[in-house]
Amino acid sequence: MQKLKANLIEHINSGFRDAVAKDYPNENRLDFYVNKQCIPSILTYAKDRLGYIHLSHIAIVDWLEEGEFELIYIIWSPEEKIKMFVRTRVERENPVMPNIDMIWRQANTYEREFREMYGIQFQGLEAPEEFILEDWQGPPPMRRDFDTEEYANETFFHRPGREDAGDVREEIIKRSREEIPDFAKKYSR
Amino acid sequence: MREKATTLYLGPQHPGITGNMMIRLKVEGDTIVGATTEVGYLHRAFEKLQEKRNWLQSFTLMCRFCVPETDPMEESYARAVEAIEGREVPERAKYIRVMVLELARLASFMLWYGGQNGSLGLYTMGQWSVGDRNYILDLFEELTGGRVYHMYIWPGGVRRDLPKGFEKRVLKTMDYFEKRLNDYDDLMFENAIFKKRTQGVGIVDKEKAIEHGVVGPVLRGCGIRSDIRIDDPYEVYDKLDFIVPTAEGGDIWARALVRRQEARQSIRIIRQVIDMMPSGSVYNKIPNPQKWTLPKGDAYVRTEAVRGEIGLYMASDGGTNPRRVHLRGAAYVHAITLLEDILIGANIADVSAIMNSLGTCPPEIER
Repeated sequence: MQKLKANLIEHINSGFRDAVAKDYPNENRLDFYVNKQCIPSILTYAKDRLGYIHLSHIAIVDWLEEGEFELIYIIWSPEEKIKMFVRTRVERENPVMPNIDMIWRQANTYEREFREMYGIQFQGLEAPEEFILEDWQGPPPMRRDFDTEEYANETFFHRPGREDAGDVREEIIKRSREEIPDFAKKYSR
Repeated sequence: MREKATTLYLGPQHPGITGNMMIRLKVEGDTIVGATTEVGYLHRAFEKLQEKRNWLQSFTLMCRFCVPETDPMEESYARAVEAIEGREVPERAKYIRVMVLELARLASFMLWYGGQNGSLGLYTMGQWSVGDRNYILDLFEELTGGRVYHMYIWPGGVRRDLPKGFEKRVLKTMDYFEKRLNDYDDLMFENAIFKKRTQGVGIVDKEKAIEHGVVGPVLRGCGIRSDIRIDDPYEVYDKLDFIVPTAEGGDIWARALVRRQEARQSIRIIRQVIDMMPSGSVYNKIPNPQKWTLPKGDAYVRTEAVRGEIGLYMASDGGTNPRRVHLRGAAYVHAITLLEDILIGANIADVSAIMNSLGTCPPEIER
């Protein structure tokens, strides 16, 4: 395993000098930190030359405090049985990423979702504008600075609901003639 | 004269659609010339919600990602948390987890038997298999208190040990299922209608499978032997003896053949696990959930579910809540780009059968 990993690091570093490797010795996992512009070329290289033919996942994390999104392309080699994490960061203000759906077709779905939910633009992405949201006017909702509750309170009016709606706990107490337990009192209205 | 293309909206409320989604079909006569998947009918923002909840609270959402298969999601979450935290899991708990996962797999196969046949108008199978599935749900109810949502496999082990005599009841149920699967074969694989409607329909060839990142039985139906339980083993799968069936052809029939064998392999695994199960504790206690923090770091775990690979990426910033939980299910890759691709040239009546054979589960797409 360690030999395979060392070999892989050597291969990647020979083509991509800026790629910084991080090894997890007890796991079949190897991380590479790269510049976002390298993403299509490093993934193509890994797929065509190194046998990393399966795109397992594209994960995204919003590091709000650092002003960046992190995208993690997780690829898998059925022969070497190693998970390669290709990680990159992109600024939160007007984020633009290269598109990789010509390498793996299913990347198109991830990119559509990230465009809608995080506001990341993928260069040359061909897909219908809307994915999950319909007629959405607000900011990208999966960003960490988007407060769902606040947005709902500002955008939608309050619907009072049933007139006889009371606190269900009080109703239970009334029926059972028991005291409300101390730990539940703080949740009582 | 060439017929003019018409747009046909299939779903979101249609008995042939496997959940709340819509497919906008362009049809010429009965033949599909274009298809677009439309989702957005049941987005519940689970992943957003999980960022606001503590580690244990967000665990309770995991099983709700996809109803036919709840346990692989829980197990993924538990394993990701354990990977970040470095928490040990007792050996017995690992065996119990595998048993539960395989029981869940069998229960999910029962739903597939019903769905796949129902999509072709063969309703007897659905009556049988969904009825038989209840025997597994009874076991789950006894073990976990819930029939569909279990919240049983949690970080640190499993929630409770097996009740007295539970193993015997599982083995008895497995004997029953072994017999029943033969009946299913007679009803399904000897059926001329089933053969005629599935052979040569919804073909995914090897190149397309790689290009679209196809997983699970769909990939094995193209003749590629790939299973996370063997390739990237987790829990105690590396100690168990089972085979990964494949089939050639890449059509609905081939995928059905694969699943038919897999259901038998699940029974085989359950028997082995019960036989090999050690004694001991089943739970490595977690701290007070309100104050429970995980170290900074991330993990990606993969699980082989009935429909294929489930991947869960989890990042922790050192706080009491997950920084990010990002799930990718099999339907995420099967139901959009691949489905849109292979529907072209199919008949309208085949759409539902193809969707079922791909394991389409819309809640997995919109988490």
